Amino acid sequence: MSRAELRAVGLVRRYGGLTAVDHVDMSAPPGLITGLIGPNGAGKSTVFSLLTGVEQPDEGAVMLGDRDITKLRPDKRSRLGLVQTFQVPSLFTSMTVRDNLLVGVENRRRDYAGGLFGRGIRGNARHDEVVDEMLASLGLTDVANVITGSLPTGALRLAECARALCTHPDVLLLDEPASGLDAAETERFSQLLRRIAANGVAIVLVDHDVDLVFTVCDQVYAMVGGRVVAHGSPAAVRADPTVQSVYLAQGTKA
Amino acid sequence: MISVDLAIAGLAIGAIAALSGIGLLVTYRTNGVLNLAQGGIAALVAYVYRQMAVEWGLPKWLSAVIALAILSPLLGLLLERFVFRPLARRRASAAESLVASLGVLVLTLGMCAGIWGLGSKNDTPPLFPNKSVGISGHRIGVDTISTLVLIVVCCVALGVVQNRTKFGRQMRAVVDDRQLAELSSVPADRVAAVGWAFGTTLAGFTGVLLAPRLQLSPYGLSLVVLETFAVVVAARLASLPIAVFAGLAIGILQSELTQFKVDGQFADVYRSLESNLFVVALLVLLLAIPKLRELGDAGSAGRFSSRGAPDAAGTVEERSKDLVWKLAGFIMLLAPLLFRPADLRSAFDVPAVALILLSMVIVTGYSGQVSLGVAGYAGLGALFSLKLANGDFLGLPRLPGLLAILVGAILVAPVGLITGYPAIRRRGLTLALTTFAVGAVVSQFVFEQPKFSSGLYVNALYLGGWQLNDKAFYIIELVGLGLGLLAVRSLHRGRLGRALLAVRDNSGGAAAVGVDVRNLKLIAFTMSSVVAGLGGALLVQGASSFSSTTFQPIQSLLWFTAMVVFGADSAVGAIIGASLIVAIDVLAPSGSSTLAIGILALSLSWLPGGLASAVRGLVRFVAQRLADQFVEPEELPRPTRRTPVPAGLGAAIPRPAVPADAATWASQQTSRMGDADPAGASATAPAAVWVSGPLAAGTTGIEAAERVAAERGLTLTSFGRALLGTLGAGATGAADLIPAPAAGQVTPSGSRPAAGQPAGSVPAASSSNHLEGGRR
Repeated sequence: MSRAELRAVGLVRRYGGLTAVDHVDMSAPPGLITGLIGPNGAGKSTVFSLLTGVEQPDEGAVMLGDRDITKLRPDKRSRLGLVQTFQVPSLFTSMTVRDNLLVGVENRRRDYAGGLFGRGIRGNARHDEVVDEMLASLGLTDVANVITGSLPTGALRLAECARALCTHPDVLLLDEPASGLDAAETERFSQLLRRIAANGVAIVLVDHDVDLVFTVCDQVYAMVGGRVVAHGSPAAVRADPTVQSVYLAQGTKA
Repeated sequence: MISVDLAIAGLAIGAIAALSGIGLLVTYRTNGVLNLAQGGIAALVAYVYRQMAVEWGLPKWLSAVIALAILSPLLGLLLERFVFRPLARRRASAAESLVASLGVLVLTLGMCAGIWGLGSKNDTPPLFPNKSVGISGHRIGVDTISTLVLIVVCCVALGVVQNRTKFGRQMRAVVDDRQLAELSSVPADRVAAVGWAFGTTLAGFTGVLLAPRLQLSPYGLSLVVLETFAVVVAARLASLPIAVFAGLAIGILQSELTQFKVDGQFADVYRSLESNLFVVALLVLLLAIPKLRELGDAGSAGRFSSRGAPDAAGTVEERSKDLVWKLAGFIMLLAPLLFRPADLRSAFDVPAVALILLSMVIVTGYSGQVSLGVAGYAGLGALFSLKLANGDFLGLPRLPGLLAILVGAILVAPVGLITGYPAIRRRGLTLALTTFAVGAVVSQFVFEQPKFSSGLYVNALYLGGWQLNDKAFYIIELVGLGLGLLAVRSLHRGRLGRALLAVRDNSGGAAAVGVDVRNLKLIAFTMSSVVAGLGGALLVQGASSFSSTTFQPIQSLLWFTAMVVFGADSAVGAIIGASLIVAIDVLAPSGSSTLAIGILALSLSWLPGGLASAVRGLVRFVAQRLADQFVEPEELPRPTRRTPVPAGLGAAIPRPAVPADAATWASQQTSRMGDADPAGASATAPAAVWVSGPLAAGTTGIEAAERVAAERGLTLTSFGRALLGTLGAGATGAADLIPAPAAGQVTPSGSRPAAGQPAGSVPAASSSNHLEGGRR
């Protein structure tokens, strides 16, 4: 099954007189990690919201493969294979890690009718298998039956990521996945991202941590004032004079 | 077109509504609590005023001073000090405050009904002289003028205090962020107390002013006051001037409506509109205003759990406690079959009320939405089934009684779907008020209409040609309850249950992984309305008559409060709640059950999680005592806590050294206490290990207990062995008998004891580095 590519075409989002996102085009091809950087207020979070469907663009379109998903709600997008994680890990805090993952597996397709009657759903066993594999591959087996409300941030990030992966996504949108993680955790997390991308998933990464973005990403979009000012390989973007002056010179990166 | 005289007449009611609105707004803005008890307080003060002026013969002015200047503010201060301050202290959610204010409402109503009866009194002396003043040819009542003056005084005083004084600045700081204000040494409690006292004083005024105009009855008066919520909704819970304007405007409009005559089919409907414009305005405004300016976390989904504030999604230990709960419910249900015929008839209400409570468990307990309109759906179910049985429902053929009940309940589904659709887009207070308004509108425009609700005969039920006797009908009711429980169970288990729980926990996260939040909520809402309809149909069948008072809007609030008190996410709680309500109503004077529920609801301030959790706590305590009997006393040293692995990602796994179920228990404790004191919290964990070890094992209780005991170098006493034997057998038997969902079934896999993992066998080091594992 071929994975779909996520594309943003001429996205515009205005808040009153302010144009937060000004004709942004970007694409996230399968198997690559795409980074989105920019100083505060550059519009990267807005772009992220437009991609996930939390907000609607005033102009432009969001395409997943050949399909226009601009008007779809987040849950519908998710069922089509566009899955996001949050800046603050948002797990189901009264459920165990395993059940969190099960929710991810179970809702990829829309068939609640079977679920209404609780038992006897075909493929239930397969759901369990998927979850078990995911838990094992992310090293979460030991906390599988722990209620997520009690887990610390590092494990939550991982569990949220696992839950997102359980939906078998084509595109994974990560909002500041490294916030709240220490250096060692960030390092492990970026290795995990590489592994996911190697399976053909398109990953879009929005993060303040320039180091993370430049080391892990295959291509980087740099935004300033709602526009994309530079796009290309990490090295190229890093060398871009606009990025240098606007972003890197602000002391975020020594 | 606009008659000045009618406008003046309407102004009187409008001014009272505005006054009530000011009180509500001030309480809300200073405390973040929308005081649903306003109506109950108004009724209570009015009753006390009448008692003094009429029964005791005190001078009117003295009665008024005592009622309005002493009693009313005192009520507010008491409420603040003993109900709402504890809630604010532990940062209770808006939903909990809502329930607490409902508790106050139910309590005050229960007091009124208990002391003065449910009948209406029409001899309340008017507060102001019954005279009128002529202004350019129109007569305007002194009371209207006085009320208007009072409004102006209130508004001006509030404006001056808020903008010109130190207290006003403190007030605004508290409104903005109570905790932050306190950190800046603002006496938030004092501000809150003043807000409450002001609000209840105006509530008292509302009651005393309304009582002479209407007939004074507990439910009637408080319903009228609740309808004035239209005013604060119009003000979007924020603007005082808009509230006043809306109150006056709706009052005048309602009065102006009387000058038109509408004939034909809609004459009755129009006539009810003339006296119910406020409730219609409430519904229309709620539907038209997408978002009220709710304070704090009011917008978040309510969390009601019988298992303490942070929900423990079912440890094995909890499950064994639920058995006691289930057994109690089951016995209560079967017992009436042995009763004398008259008592059996009284017990008819139990399964019916249980179904109605159960319907709210679906919406509130599982999907976290507050629904205050259940009486409407129950009443519709009753009405539909009776109409079907009488053969005059939309030209449908006449159905046999039992089928009519079932079909009638199912026909509520479209109504639930249509009313649920706008409701589920709203959250928190807005949703609560919307559902209440739906219930009130249905009550006023359907149940109260002779056109719909007269000439309904409740016929005897037949099954296969046999007329059902009382016992058979009771069994039929139990079957209905079983159906309801089955519905709840299917919602509670499997993927749908998990998805609902996910929505309740974090709807953003649920949407992100493809859970169709809206449809799920709609499914839950619709199923809930059907279950309520079934309950209503059975209620009417059992009572052999349809009465609109059975399904009046206030009843929704009583039932909702009862449901929360007895454990919002517990199906068995619903059954026990229903049994107790009916039992109290039969045995004690009217209003007693209301009073009891009110008291219990208020205890929620001190007992997070409600009665159910208090009982659970008690059971846990007893179980711990019992557990101490399992081993020889001299060998009682409690297992010491294994030190959690500190630092880095190792800390990612909380206390991996304790068994899975104990770990969840401990973590639940941790989250309850906040992150501040994880060590202290986990120090209490071993006690749980102690209990959960033996009890958790179920059928193989003895072996497990022996294993656990042996691991700790202890031996089982013969007493412990014998007790475990009986516990184990009884426990599994009961679980099969009652198909109610247990706590553990929220997360079946979570509650499974970690397979093949003997207690404490997970080496701490193995799980400390799961991120590294990810690289493998």
